[in-house]
This record gives sequence, C-alpha cells and structure tokens, in this order.
Amino acid sequence: MKKYFKKKQITQIIMLAALSLGATLAIAQTGPIKIGVVTPLSGTYTPIGEQVKMGLDLAAKEINAKGGINGRKIDLIYEDEEANPAVATQKAEKLFQVEKVDFLTGTVNSGSTLAVGQVAERNKKLIATTVSFADSITGDKCSPNVFRVNARAGMQSAALAAWVDKEIPKANIFFIGPDYLMGRSTVSAFKKASTEKGAKDVGEVFAPLGNKDYSPYFGQVRSAKPNVIYTSVAGNDTVRLFTQMDDYGINKGVTIVGASGTVTSQNLGAIGKSANGFVTGVGYSPKLDNPANKQFVADFQKAYSKLPDLYGADSYGLLYFYKAAVEKAKSTDTDKVRAAMNDLSWQTPQGIKKMRAGDHQAMQDMFAVRIENGEFNIVGMVAADQAIGPDVCDRF
Amino acid sequence: MLESLQYIYAPQMLNGLSIGVAVILMALGLTIIFGLLDVINMSHGEFYAAGAFFSVSLMAMGVSFWLCLVLVPLLLLPIGFAMERLLIQKVFHYKDRHILTLLLTFGVAMVLEDSYKIIWGSNPIKPPAPISGASELLGVMFPNYRLFVMAFGALLIFAVWLLIYKTQIGAIVRAAAFDKEMSSSLGIPVMLVYALTFALGVALAGLAGVLLAPIYSVFPTMGHDFILLAFSVVIVGGLGSIKGAVVAGILLTQLQSISSLYISPVWSDPLVFTVMVLVLMFKPTGLYGGMKNG
Repeated sequence: MKKYFKKKQITQIIMLAALSLGATLAIAQTGPIKIGVVTPLSGTYTPIGEQVKMGLDLAAKEINAKGGINGRKIDLIYEDEEANPAVATQKAEKLFQVEKVDFLTGTVNSGSTLAVGQVAERNKKLIATTVSFADSITGDKCSPNVFRVNARAGMQSAALAAWVDKEIPKANIFFIGPDYLMGRSTVSAFKKASTEKGAKDVGEVFAPLGNKDYSPYFGQVRSAKPNVIYTSVAGNDTVRLFTQMDDYGINKGVTIVGASGTVTSQNLGAIGKSANGFVTGVGYSPKLDNPANKQFVADFQKAYSKLPDLYGADSYGLLYFYKAAVEKAKSTDTDKVRAAMNDLSWQTPQGIKKMRAGDHQAMQDMFAVRIENGEFNIVGMVAADQAIGPDVCDRF
Repeated sequence: MLESLQYIYAPQMLNGLSIGVAVILMALGLTIIFGLLDVINMSHGEFYAAGAFFSVSLMAMGVSFWLCLVLVPLLLLPIGFAMERLLIQKVFHYKDRHILTLLLTFGVAMVLEDSYKIIWGSNPIKPPAPISGASELLGVMFPNYRLFVMAFGALLIFAVWLLIYKTQIGAIVRAAAFDKEMSSSLGIPVMLVYALTFALGVALAGLAGVLLAPIYSVFPTMGHDFILLAFSVVIVGGLGSIKGAVVAGILLTQLQSISSLYISPVWSDPLVFTVMVLVLMFKPTGLYGGMKNG
C-alpha cells in the first residue's frame, strides 16, 4: 500500500513537472513576438528613422488589433543606431542577446545593414532592411539571413534611366554623390543604367557625408556643362545642395534627377521651391492609385497627420511580409521562416510584392516621380521584371 | 591660363572666402573666450545653433530678419552670462581647470543639442534668404546674400577687433587676461569682466547662427558643422588672437577650397588637420601670440 502511494506520488510529480514544462512552452509560443528595430533616432538620418518607426508602429497596431500573428502580439523594441555601423552592431547584438528578439529590422545606412547582417548570421536570426539601397546587400555581399523588401539602387536607377532616356535622349550627366557605400553604389548604378542607354558621363564629385557647403564644387559642375545632374545625397545634405544650387543658378536649364532617398517628405519642406522639377525613380508614391495604398495613406495621415514616404510604406509592408512568412511557417524558427520567405508573395501599399529566393530581393513595379510644388507626381512606370536585374548572389 | 584663373580659380577663391568668413565668425567667440578665460568652450557650436533656432522662431512670430540680427545676440547675452556665473565659475578655480571646463561645456553641449531636438524636432528648417537673387561676379553668378554675409562678417570682425584692442573696455579685458591679481588690485571687477566676456563670445556664436542659417539650414546637430574647422582656425591662428583667427581662417578655407579642385573633397578635411598638426609641432603658440600679448 505504502509503496503504491509512493509510486502514485512520483507519477504526480512527473505529471506536474510535465505540465509546468508544457505551460512554459505554451508561454513561449503565445507570448509576444519580439521584433528589434535598430534605426537612426538621432543624427543626419533621423527623418528617415522617424518614417521607419511610424510605418512599423502603424502596421504593428493594425496586426495586433486583428489578433496578432498566429495569435501572438507583435512587440517592437527600438534602439538608436545613430546611422553608425559600429553602434548598429552593438545595439543589434544587445537586442539578440539580451532582449532575445525573433526578428530585426530598421537599419538605414547600408553599412549598418551589412554589419548587422553579420551579427544576425552569428546569432542565427533573420533581419530585413526596409531602407538601404546599396545593391551589394542582395548582390555580392548577400547573406542567407538578410532580406530586403524595398527597391534597391539598381531598380530605382533602371526606372529613372528609362525616364531620362525618353525625355532627354543622349543627355550629358554630371554626378554628385555622398562619399560612402550608398552614395557610390547609387551613382555607379545610375551611371551604368544611363550610359547603356546612350547618355554621356561628363564628370562626378563625391562630397563628404554631412557636407555643409557645395559651392566649391560648382566650378567643376559648370565647366562640365551638363544638361542633367544626378545626385544621391540625402537628409540635411539635400537641403543644402538644392538650395545652394538654386542660389548659384546651377540648376538653370538643367534637369536635376536623383536617388529616391534624396528628397523625402521630411526634408521637402526645408528645400521648398528649390526642389521643383526634381525627378526620381521610386518604389513608392503616396499617389499610387490602388485600394491598399489609399487605405494605408488615409490611416497613416490619421495617425500622424503627415504623408508616408517610401521608407514609411516599405517599413509598414515589412511587418505584413513577416506576418505572412510566420503564418506560412507556423513558427518563428529561423530556418522555417527563411524557407517560408523564399518566393513569398504578399500585399503591400505598392501592390503585390514577391521575394526572390535567389538573392532575397523583393520584386516590385517601379515609378518615375517628379516634384511639383511640394507634390510627388507619377510621370512614368517600369514593370517589376524589367527593373529587377539579374540575380548575382552566389552565397546560397 | 588667364581664362582658367578667371573662371575656375577666382570663383573658387570667392567661394572659399564666403566659407572663410563663416568659419572666422565661429572662431571669433571661441578665441575670445579662450584668450581671456583660458576656457575651451565645447558648447560653442550649440550656441551657434541656438542663434539659428531663435531666429527661426522669432521669424515665425513675424519678427524681421534684420531685427533678429540685433535681438538674438541680446537674448544670448544673459544666457552666456548665467552659464559663466553658475557653471564655469564652479570649476574655474580648481587646478585641473582645463579638463573640468572642457567636460562641463561638453556636457552642456549634449544637453542643448537634445533640447533642440525636443523643442524644434529633428527635421531641417530652411529660413528664406532675406536678400534674394544673384549677381554676376568674375564671370559667374554669386548669391547676393552670401555677398552680404561676407561684407557684414568682415565689418563685425573688425568691430570686435576695435572693441578688444582700441577701446578702454578692451584694455580692461586684456588687463584682466594678462594679470588677474594685479587687475583686481587696481579695482577692475575681474569676475564681472570674465562673465561678460564669456557672454560676448556666446552672443557672437548666436549672431553667426542667425547669419548662416539661410545658407546652411537649421537642425539640432548643426553645431558640429563648423566647430572642428573653427577649433583648427583658433589653434593655427594662436589661441586668443583675433588677427590670428582671421589669417588662419582665410588660409585654411582657401586651402580647402583650392585643394578640392585637385583631390577628392573627402581629403580636404584631413589636409586642414595636417596643417594644424604641423603648426602645433613647429609653433605651438600658433601664428600669432594671443590676446595677452596685445
């Protein structure tokens, strides 16, 4: 009898232990999904970081209101990367190690995205960028753990080069870029895309990031006599370049074109009328005429009383990408989610995007937009398969 | 040859001069504060930003730009005065004054920068240029407002030089810098002179902010823009010397401007710092002595 009880007790203890273990497992599966966001909340790229945050916050709010992902809420954890790859890797490491985030996004500076991609590989987690343009991220420096949902420099260049070729055939183009990875890669991408179509490269200058005065370079620009100037500066640098070009009359009779990150809703107010006539190739415009975008723009304006830009839209779309992948994988496990992400199609404000499995680059239609009195008007379109370019990633 | 001189070098030097005046305006307040108080003001750039932000807010309230040129420095005078009295004086008399004031002003700089972010937000603001249009000069177009800034800046620098070297007030300031104890025993209110001089330096930084905002736009981290170059100018010119600041300011910005024709712009900053290091190696006091030698 005694022995029987003892046996029963042991069984009870084991059952209790099993139950409690089951309970903790259940908590791990039903607790919130933690998504780390390493984005510039200070420094020259703050305006971009703000759009990233607004887009992510809005999508998280919507998804959480509709029951989350597989019944789990999204918890966004922000860290300031100061647009500095060294800081970004520290913050990413912290998010993976201390906060135990399931997924990470937000990096703006292409150098930060590449560096954080390495951190993700070491931690066996996935990251996605919604902003970085450098082709190498999904090109020769591609990583099995890094995805890009926004259009890369090459896709923007393809759309813009097609527009320039149509409007100003055989253009003489001068290039002004910021001297770092993104600046050099956007300039070389557009140079390649436009010269292939018959345009002529008449000169280039790379100014330091955060350059205050561009007037010392205007002599070179003038003597090169361009009829098109291409630039890929961003943030506050654009304000200075554009207003100074205007002050010096450099833009007279010249069409200014550039990277999509050059003029955004954040710096457009400060640039004012000096931005008029600027044309860029983009993956997004708040004017896109489709129901998903109209709904998104209305919700965004209601939440923040300002228009979304491409960073806001792509960051918003990212959470739906992650949601679709986790729901398909029925797990947040890295390998299962990665497999689910490959060739995944999902709904975004730009319409349906598809993640190319070969290099982790999202495919989408591209647009040429022109700024007229503070508005981005769509002036041309290039289909997704025309803009995407070859898959040059050979790491996976 | 003549043509390249006219169309490439002359406009380039003119551009360099316009940047040079901006840098000298920044260096002026720094060098005065250092020359007299022996304090390296790391928050100088943030007072430059304060001037720019104050002018933006005042103009939004309908105050004209020209009135801002007067009002903003006046607003900054009491702020500078209070900072010297309440903060700098607290650590001024310790043996390791240089390090303590450096850390203190650096801390103030960080607090100010974040305050701007909270008050005015991170997005850049571009005040309209009060003088629009451009004039043809040396065969190229040059913005009228930059011409004004160069002329006004030159006048301002001259006025400050007159104040320090040719007036009785200036003599008192220099005397206090030269020998604190002796000046004090002769009845000069040395502590008041210190606070007022610091306030003058801060007001000059603010004035530079008002003047340069329409050219360089306004945002919380703008204080970092000219500060490194301004520090180099102060070191090369000689700590505390106004003449030195002017000569070094023009020298370094011309070097930067002309060199950017031949080398990648990214290398023109290292070039400037190389000159600074060379000056420190061979003539540690800078090109011209200091205010005390005046």
